[in-house]
Amino acid sequence: MRPELACPRCGTAMNHQADKLREPTSREEAQSTRRGGVVIAVFACPNCGWIASLRRPDDA
Amino acid sequence: MAADVVRPLSIPVILGTQRTGRMSEHAARAVYVELEKRPGIETELIDAATLPIPSDEAGEAAKDPAFAETMNRADAIVLVAPEYNRGYPGLLKHVLDTNLAEYIHKAAGVVGVSAGIFGGARMIENLLPVLRELGLVTIFWDVNVNNARTRFDETGVLVDDSFLAVGKFLDELVWMAETLRHGREQITIGGPA
Repeated sequence: MRPELACPRCGTAMNHQADKLREPTSREEAQSTRRGGVVIAVFACPNCGWIASLRRPDDA
Repeated sequence: MAADVVRPLSIPVILGTQRTGRMSEHAARAVYVELEKRPGIETELIDAATLPIPSDEAGEAAKDPAFAETMNRADAIVLVAPEYNRGYPGLLKHVLDTNLAEYIHKAAGVVGVSAGIFGGARMIENLLPVLRELGLVTIFWDVNVNNARTRFDETGVLVDDSFLAVGKFLDELVWMAETLRHGREQITIGGPA
């Protein structure tokens, strides 16, 4: 499942440019993965360049 | 591609030490001045010592919104730091650690500063794996400001630029910044849906 995100600045459909592992920041996050971290999808806006991210829905 | 043409590249310079009498401030200003001369580039000089980032928090909890926005907007960053006992300043690491997604697939160039002959080369070697983990893409040119106490005059002006190759460093950084902007905004990880 490919994550999707609209730019919070200009509303343009963002480009999913990277998946990055990061360390969990809470007990809940740590318990929700067996990977040693959570995977965030990182997006860039092709219109204004803004960067945004979300946890991959299929990571847990 | 039209947006690429209209939007200038954003390349802030981060001064990564807070010590009194820091020669890195002069080096940072010299690189900042060279960046400012280049058309199509927006830059600013960020003094890590002045950022309102608490020392007892990390990540999102320590994030300064203005710094995070600058990193979000950046296409590349220049890090200017001295070598302290072969390492990088703890302040620089602490400041960098407050962001993550904002750095990914963006270019990073490092300017090392030292009073001795190596120009921060060993600090840079230690910093590279940190930058990689943050998602930054390092370039292969560094600026090594060695013998820092004799390269600047009393007012902090660079009077000896021998072997610094700041122009080559910035050429490579700008190329990488342009290339990565295209990749971030146009090329989807894993290929088209």
